[in-house]
Amino acid sequence: MQEASFLILTALAGGSQHGYGIVTDVAQISGGRVELKAGTLYAALDRLTADGLIEPDREEIVDSRLRRYYRITREGAERLAEEADRMRANAHAALIRLRPGVAIS
Amino acid sequence: MTEHSPLERRYRRWLALYPKSFRAEREDEMVAVLMQGADPGQTRPRAREAADLVTHGLRRRARTSRLPSNWERAHANVMFPVRIIIALWLCFISAMLIGYHRGELWLLLLVPAILLHLYIAYRIRPSAIPR
Repeated sequence: MQEASFLILTALAGGSQHGYGIVTDVAQISGGRVELKAGTLYAALDRLTADGLIEPDREEIVDSRLRRYYRITREGAERLAEEADRMRANAHAALIRLRPGVAIS
Repeated sequence: MTEHSPLERRYRRWLALYPKSFRAEREDEMVAVLMQGADPGQTRPRAREAADLVTHGLRRRARTSRLPSNWERAHANVMFPVRIIIALWLCFISAMLIGYHRGELWLLLLVPAILLHLYIAYRIRPSAIPR
């Protein structure tokens, strides 16, 4: 799973959000490291929708601008959990091997 | 539609790189995201934003290219051997010019022409036409 997809799913795991809400949330989750651009965001949203991991939620018009909200699906939540477990296992393995006193052969 | 600010018009101009079907569905939504991300007083898209729209717009366009019509398919089938024959003919002409007239300079013209015909033949080869 690409990092952008992972971060978007993470943002939506906390509740449905619209495009710009996802952008700011992803920036916050990643500590400002990932700034999603509109083209990248919508390419990822389309892919995630096609894979059934997210779905359009409701639409609002705010200041005469369209806001379409997206929410994570059950399948999306499962995939995100699997991915997070995998990353934790990898990070754990890396930290153990980096611990001082472990012989590097 | 109400009047668009200069910034919004510029964003929409970059979004025109996306295919029409995609824009019908997404353009207003993407403009909303772009405008919300803009700094106050900003009048032009940032270079990285524009580059991002170009990349994804063209990628999307490449993905949604339509299927060729029957007429286009028939045309490609006829023109494929014709292109090959023209290329071979030009090779023959080149050989004659070099052999009998010291016409090596003509190669400047003939070699690109031969390559162009072979390239077109390659692009319209029967196996490249989607059904």
